[in-house]
Amino acid sequence: MMTGLWSMLAQGNLIKKCIGMAIFQTGIILFFISIGAKNDALIPILTEGANHTFDNPNIDKVTNPLTQILMLTAIVVGVATLGVGLALAQKVYQQHDSFDEDEILNNQTK
Amino acid sequence: MADLPIWHYDTLFLILAILFGISALAMQNLMSAAIVFGAYSFLMCLIWTTMGAVDVAFTEAAVGAGVSTVFIVATIYNTGVAATPKSPRIAFKIFAGLIAFGTGAFLLSALPDLPDWGDPKSPVNSTMAPYYIANSITDARVPNIVTTVLADYRGFDTLLETTVVFIACIAIYSILRIDNAKSKVTESDIITSPPAYDPTDSLIIRQASRIMVPFMQLFALYVIAHGHYSPGGGFQGGVILGASIILLSISFDLKHVLQQWTEKKIMILTALGVLIYAMVGLACILMDGVYLDYSALDSVLPGDKAYARSHGILLVEIGVGITVMFSMIGIYINLASNGRFDKGL
Repeated sequence: MMTGLWSMLAQGNLIKKCIGMAIFQTGIILFFISIGAKNDALIPILTEGANHTFDNPNIDKVTNPLTQILMLTAIVVGVATLGVGLALAQKVYQQHDSFDEDEILNNQTK
Repeated sequence: MADLPIWHYDTLFLILAILFGISALAMQNLMSAAIVFGAYSFLMCLIWTTMGAVDVAFTEAAVGAGVSTVFIVATIYNTGVAATPKSPRIAFKIFAGLIAFGTGAFLLSALPDLPDWGDPKSPVNSTMAPYYIANSITDARVPNIVTTVLADYRGFDTLLETTVVFIACIAIYSILRIDNAKSKVTESDIITSPPAYDPTDSLIIRQASRIMVPFMQLFALYVIAHGHYSPGGGFQGGVILGASIILLSISFDLKHVLQQWTEKKIMILTALGVLIYAMVGLACILMDGVYLDYSALDSVLPGDKAYARSHGILLVEIGVGITVMFSMIGIYINLASNGRFDKGL
């Protein structure tokens, strides 16, 4: 997550900023998934097992599904926002012929 | 296998993922940065799997490693590959590093207050989630709890997430789309120097993708339809369906794809998916239920009330799948053809 934040601030290149944003996002997703994880737990798909039946599942042995679905949708929305970011970067490139922030600023002041 | 603490794998994957993340940002060549970013996504996908989040891992593999890498590559193809820093800006980078490090240290200082890792009694795991786990079978007859929570218990959430994807698609159209008549005026602004190779003349790639595409689409349909019993669902299946069309337009030609999927068709179908979702909700109201309470639909759907919810989830997942599929295709075509819809990669 720190890598992503650093890149968003420090990288001059717009594409690298977008990659940094995606890395930042996975850091946050990692946090959510890890607080939803449980020791020795199974995946949140119920099966018939020894200490584990369909109608009466052992709740402590099933990973928290709630954080998972929140992050699942976050990933899909993340790729959509990444697309918007890349579209903006592409438009900037058409105008200024560069992805570099400094060059874009120089072009504008000219 | 039970003796081996899962942390061993996790730490290894995490260290590798951080290394990949840093190297993706340090690359001078943007194309290699995009590919390394894809590898980073695959590692994250392994980490989700070790933490038991299989649905998230599936989504990350399809979306993060697959489609977003393709988006970045498509953007780079239309612009420039090299990322040569003009001025070093070392002082600024150190300053930014300090801010990032400070934020990280600030967040890490809150670490002792968090519940223990893997504690089933922590607030996150003990408030709402046990209800979902205990009642998924009795309420909707769906073993995959993630699917139930996604499309039933938290149906509003997913409806609006789908709408966000749709809106992002519209935003990209309005940013990039150029009408062919207008593009003649701005022809000089548009860069006409793609990397010097012609990807359309490889016979092997064409034939291989011609064989692969139907199987990909079949698998995607299976993922949507079987999302109740195994990892998968509308989001993942939609992304795979979109990826199969994107593969066609990469290996053949964008024109070839646009003959079948015209711009109008793509736009209408993107909206249709959200419409299906919203209409299923509305149908529930008309059948004397609450919005998105699929058990109200049991008189038209086979089975009892619980099975009606199960089928309602399927209908909604189909809507999600259609929207995600066509918005991915729309975003890709816009990025790859600079918004002109004439030729792509």
